[in-house]
Amino acid sequence: MQGSIAMTILIFLGAAIIMVPLGKKLGLSSVIGYILGGILIGPFCLQLTGRDAEDIMHASELGVIMLLFLVGLELEPQKLWQIRKRILGLGLSQMLLSIVGIFMVFYIAGFGLKTSFIISLCFAMSSTAIVLQTLKEKNLFRTVSGESSFSILLFQDIAVIPILALLPFLSKSKRALEQADHEKILLQYLPEWLQPFTVIFAVLALILLGRYIFTPFLRFVSRSGLNELLTAASLFLVIGVSELMISVDLSPALGAFIAGVMLANSEFRHELESAIDPFKGLLLAVFFVSVGATINFDIIVSKPFFIFSAAFIVLAVKAVVLFGIGKYYKMNNEQSFFLAFALSQVGEFAFVLVNFAASLYLIDYQANSELMAIVAITMCISPLLLIFKEKVLDKRFIKQKNEENIELGIIKQRKVIIVGFGFFGSTVGRLLKANGIRSTVLDNDPDRVALLRSNGFNVYYGDATKPALLRSAGIEEAELLVLCLDDPEKNKFLVDYVKENYPDVKIFVRAKNRLDAYDFLNKNVNHIYRETLGTAVDMAVDILQENGMRKYTARRMGKRFMLIDKAMTKRLAKEKDKDMITFTLRESLEREAELLALDSISFEENHWSGDEDDDDK
Amino acid sequence: MKKTLVLFAHPYFEHSTTNVRLLECYDDLDNVTFRDLYEDYPDFHIQPFRERKRIVEYERIIFHFPIIWFGLPPLLKLWIDEVFDMRWVSENGINILSGKDALIITSVGGREANYTKEGKYETEVEELLSGLKVSLKVNNIDLKKIHIIYNADNLNHEQLDVLSDELSQTLKIK
Repeated sequence: MQGSIAMTILIFLGAAIIMVPLGKKLGLSSVIGYILGGILIGPFCLQLTGRDAEDIMHASELGVIMLLFLVGLELEPQKLWQIRKRILGLGLSQMLLSIVGIFMVFYIAGFGLKTSFIISLCFAMSSTAIVLQTLKEKNLFRTVSGESSFSILLFQDIAVIPILALLPFLSKSKRALEQADHEKILLQYLPEWLQPFTVIFAVLALILLGRYIFTPFLRFVSRSGLNELLTAASLFLVIGVSELMISVDLSPALGAFIAGVMLANSEFRHELESAIDPFKGLLLAVFFVSVGATINFDIIVSKPFFIFSAAFIVLAVKAVVLFGIGKYYKMNNEQSFFLAFALSQVGEFAFVLVNFAASLYLIDYQANSELMAIVAITMCISPLLLIFKEKVLDKRFIKQKNEENIELGIIKQRKVIIVGFGFFGSTVGRLLKANGIRSTVLDNDPDRVALLRSNGFNVYYGDATKPALLRSAGIEEAELLVLCLDDPEKNKFLVDYVKENYPDVKIFVRAKNRLDAYDFLNKNVNHIYRETLGTAVDMAVDILQENGMRKYTARRMGKRFMLIDKAMTKRLAKEKDKDMITFTLRESLEREAELLALDSISFEENHWSGDEDDDDK
Repeated sequence: MKKTLVLFAHPYFEHSTTNVRLLECYDDLDNVTFRDLYEDYPDFHIQPFRERKRIVEYERIIFHFPIIWFGLPPLLKLWIDEVFDMRWVSENGINILSGKDALIITSVGGREANYTKEGKYETEVEELLSGLKVSLKVNNIDLKKIHIIYNADNLNHEQLDVLSDELSQTLKIK
C-alpha cells in the first residue's frame, strides 16, 4: 500500500490505539502492545506499511531523544556527579562482561572473529526506551534497582560514541572511511589534531549553553506570556541540540540528555516537561510500532532454530551478567532479578549500530536481517520476563519498604505541591522548609520565580491551571496539594480538576472569605483557610486584652470564636447551597446577620459544641 | 472487655522508645477507644462539653502517660481541670463518673531503686500521682491498679517484650 506520510502515520497510530489497551487488559506493558501493533500492520500480517517502517523508525528516534531529554531534566547536575562512581562501576562492568560473554557465544557458533566482536558490541546495549518507559510506568525511578538500571543505561548511551567511532577502523574498505567522513559541517572548521576531542568540546559547549544561554532565552520567551511560544521554544531547544550533536557526529540522545541535565535546575523544568511529554509519548509509540513492523519474519521462518536460540542465549548471557553485578553491588535478590530481566534485551541502538556496520561491509545483508530479528525478539521477550518476575518471583521476596525518612524520625516526607507563591503561599512554604519538609512550588510570575530561585527556593515557572504542568510537577504521586493562588476562581478550577482526576490527593486551599469557604465546603474540601478569619480573630483577642481581659481568657475566647465560626460556616453551607451558585451582596449580608444572631445565643459552649470529630477543623 | 477509654498523653512522643511499643497492647482489644490527647488538642484548647458528653459512655478509663519532672504531663492535668466538675462532688450533685473504674499506666526514666524512701529521690512514684489518685477517689472511681514502667529510656527488645506481656496482663484485670 503506497500512502502519503499522513496515511502512514494514521496506520501507525491506529495500531497503537487498538493494541495497547488490549495489551493492558492482558497485563502487558504498553511497550509490548506497541510492538504487537507493529507486527500486526507489518509486511507479514496486514502489509500496511510497505517499506516505510524503517524510515519512520529513523524519524521516530526523535522520541528516544526526547525521552533522554526528559530523563536529563529529572537529574540535577550535582546528583549526576554524586552517582558518577555508580555509572562507571555498574556501566563499565556490564558492558565489558556482556561483550565478553556474547563474543564467546557467537565465536563458538562459527562467526568470524571480527563479526563476533562487532555483534557483541552492538548486543551489549540495552533498550533505553523500553527500560525507561517501564521505570516510569511502575514508578521505580527512586528505587535502588531503578537508579542502577538508569546508571547502566546512561553509561551505554555514552559508550555508543566511541563504538561508532571505532567501527570504521575495523572496516578496511575505502568506502567505509569515506562513509565515516560524511557531513561534518562544523568539524571541518576545526584543525585536524583537535577532531578526536570533539566529544569533550561538544559536552563543554552544551554545558556553557545550558548555563548561560538556555535559561535566559526561556525567560525571555516566558515574559511574552504566550504558552504556545514556550512549547515552541522547548521543541526548538531539544531538536536544535540533537541536530547540533548530529552535525558533529555525536549521539543526539546524549546531547539531549546533557541539555536536560543543564536545565534540571532551572525554573522551567516542569514547564518544559509538560511541553515535551506529549510529543515524546507519541514519537516513542511510533518508534515501538516501527520496531514491530521491521521484524523480518521470512528470516525467522527460514532459520527459526538459530534465530530463537540466539535470542535466548543473548538474553541469558546478559541476564546472568546483570544478576551477578547486582549481587556484587550488594543488592537483594528482588533488585538483582529486576536488573537482570529489565536490561537483558538488546536495545534500539543495536539497530543503528548494526545498520551502520552493514553499510561499512562489516556484516553481510543476510546476517544483518538475522541480527535485526534477534534484537526485535529480545525486545519482545524482556517485558514478558518482568511480568513473570512480578507474578511469580515477587511472592517469594519479602517486600522491604524503604520509606524516605528524613532525620526527624517519625515525620514522613509526603510529596507536597504548592501552587502560588505570593505573600500567602510563601509563608506556608517557608514554615514547611524551616522544618525540613520539601515541596514543589509552582508560580506564574517569571520575575518572582527568578528572585525566589536566587534565594535558594525550589520554585518552578508555569501556569498551574494547565493540567499538563500539574502532571509534570508530579500530581500523580503527590499526597498534598496546597492551593494559595490569589484568584479564588483559579483555586476553584484546580479543586474541581484535581478532585475529579486525582481523588486521593488531599487539598489544602486558601479562601478569601466566607463566601469562598461555602463554595469549597460544597466541593467537599475539608482543609479551608480563610484569610479573613485568623488574623482578624488575633486582632480582636488583642483588643480584648487591651480592654483588661486576662490574656489567657482572651486567647481562649478567640479560639472558641474560631471554632464556632467554622462550625457555623459548615452548617450554613450545607443548609443554603442546595441550588445557589453565587450570592448577591444582600444575601451575604443576610448570612452575616444570621451569624451574628447565632453568636449572641450560642457562645455558651453546650449550645454549639457538636460531637463531630472534626469540629475543630 | 468493659467499654474502655484510653487517655494517652505524651508531650514528646516522637522521642519515645518504650511507649511506642507498649501502645501496641491496645491494638487487638475490642471495645477500646484510644485517644492521643496531644494530637487531639495540640493548642491546649480543650472542649469540656464535648469531653463530658463522651466520657459518660465508658465504664473504664485508662490514664496512660510518662512522668516528666515528677508530675503529670500538663495537657493531661489541664484535661482533668477542664472536664472534671466540682459540682459533681457537692452534696446533691449527680456524678457522671461515679461507679466507673480506672487504671493508671505510667513510665519513668529513673531506675526503680531511685524511687524508694532510701533512694535518690526519696519518693515513690505513687506519691507523685497523689493528686490524680485523690481526684479519682472523690469522684467515686475505683482505681484498679497503678502499673509502673521503670528505666523507660533504655530498655532493649527483650525487656520490652517482657513489659509488653506484663501490661497485657494488667489490661485483663476485671
